[in-house]
Amino acid sequence: MTFLIRSRLLATFISLFTLGSVLLLSSPSSWAQHRDNSQKFIQNFGNVLVSIVDSPISVSEKKQKLIPLVQQNVDINTIGRYCLGRYWKVATVKQKTRYLKLFHQFLMNAITDKLGDYRGVSFTIGKITQNANDDTVETTITRLQHPPVTMQWVVSYTSGSPKIVDVIGEGASLRLTQRSDYSAFIAHHDGNIDTLLSAIQKQIDQHARAASDD
Amino acid sequence: MLLLRRIFFRKIYFLALILSIGSVAGCSAIKAPVPKDPDALADYKATNDPYEPLNRKTFNLTMKFDKYALKPMAKAYRWAVPHVVRNSLGNMITTMYEPSVFFNDVAAGKPRRAGDIFARWCINLTIGLGGLIDVAKMLGFRHHANDAGLTLANWGIPSGPYLFLPMGPSSFRDGAGYAIDQAFSPWNYVPRGYGLISFNWAYNSFAMIHGRSEHLGEIDALEQDALDPYATIRSAYQQQRKAQAAAIRNDHRATVPAWYHH
Repeated sequence: MTFLIRSRLLATFISLFTLGSVLLLSSPSSWAQHRDNSQKFIQNFGNVLVSIVDSPISVSEKKQKLIPLVQQNVDINTIGRYCLGRYWKVATVKQKTRYLKLFHQFLMNAITDKLGDYRGVSFTIGKITQNANDDTVETTITRLQHPPVTMQWVVSYTSGSPKIVDVIGEGASLRLTQRSDYSAFIAHHDGNIDTLLSAIQKQIDQHARAASDD
Repeated sequence: MLLLRRIFFRKIYFLALILSIGSVAGCSAIKAPVPKDPDALADYKATNDPYEPLNRKTFNLTMKFDKYALKPMAKAYRWAVPHVVRNSLGNMITTMYEPSVFFNDVAAGKPRRAGDIFARWCINLTIGLGGLIDVAKMLGFRHHANDAGLTLANWGIPSGPYLFLPMGPSSFRDGAGYAIDQAFSPWNYVPRGYGLISFNWAYNSFAMIHGRSEHLGEIDALEQDALDPYATIRSAYQQQRKAQAAAIRNDHRATVPAWYHH
């Protein structure tokens, strides 16, 4: 009987040990695989982005092409949730739905507005670092008559496929800065989330008016 | 005589009373109340801005000055002066700040960075015609920013609370750093009476207008996109300073430039 228990224990140890060593051995290669994925992902995203921006089509056509690219590669919902910070917990379901819808539009406007800035851009991929749940891919962006700029792209795999969840330019994270903006705004309006929603709506309306004036 | 003295002392007491009431009232307008809600408290700690009410006042005044004076001047300057000339003047301003960058590189214990700046200073002031042409950059000595605030940061001194000063976002540490940098700038030691003081004033004002003209688009975009520009600037500034200090700390390049080995 004791022999049986012992042998079982031994078997458990052995299997645990093998499992551990397999995990240990496989982790560097899986990290390498992960890193390659992140690199390829940003490389492809950047290539498509540059090809759209540099193509000889009108600005409105470029915007139309850009929308699916961004929706496919940027996790706008996750970013939106992050940006609402501590107020996400207290928002009602209705507020959350409306907020995410507005945030989608706001972010798309912010990205498509910068279309002109990306003309004649080329980029190289640098260091890739692994964090808890995501990878940070460093890129050096060169534009004519501009000094090279270093930008980091945070790629998350939590949704199952690689998605951009943050952009860090000159040391400042875009989503963290946005969260500070929203948090301060809500805090200065007595914690009322609806004031934020109407402020974002106002921004979107102004943007639409400016676009129709052009 | 005695009466006069009494009146005098009464006046002094009255003045002291007004001052103390003023400072107490001032305090409540200077310091933000510490929130009790744990989530709000976490936010309060993360923003590191206990003097927010005072900072916001300074920020609003600065933005007003910007709107009615600095921005129009910067726009006019950009309109009137061709790009090439503006570029050269920008190079000159960069060169004039180089001594304090050099001292800070030395203080940070980064000989490679200090050497780059020293080479830039020597090359640009001579071949670069007093700093107007950035010849050093063409030779591979790129400019980098450094200031005493960053040096103090790398010496392990915490930033202290956030401050918005009339010259822009800062902190207790970076404000002290600004004072140190001024002390290290040779332009503040020019002898009086040679018209150099007025040169200094002109130069500082010009540097301000030039600096503003370089960021016309960015600040417009910020005012348009941010719902609370004060909070956005505060967050971006705090993150950026951390990144700048880390970049200096992690610069382990060899002292000898790469071309030396070829």
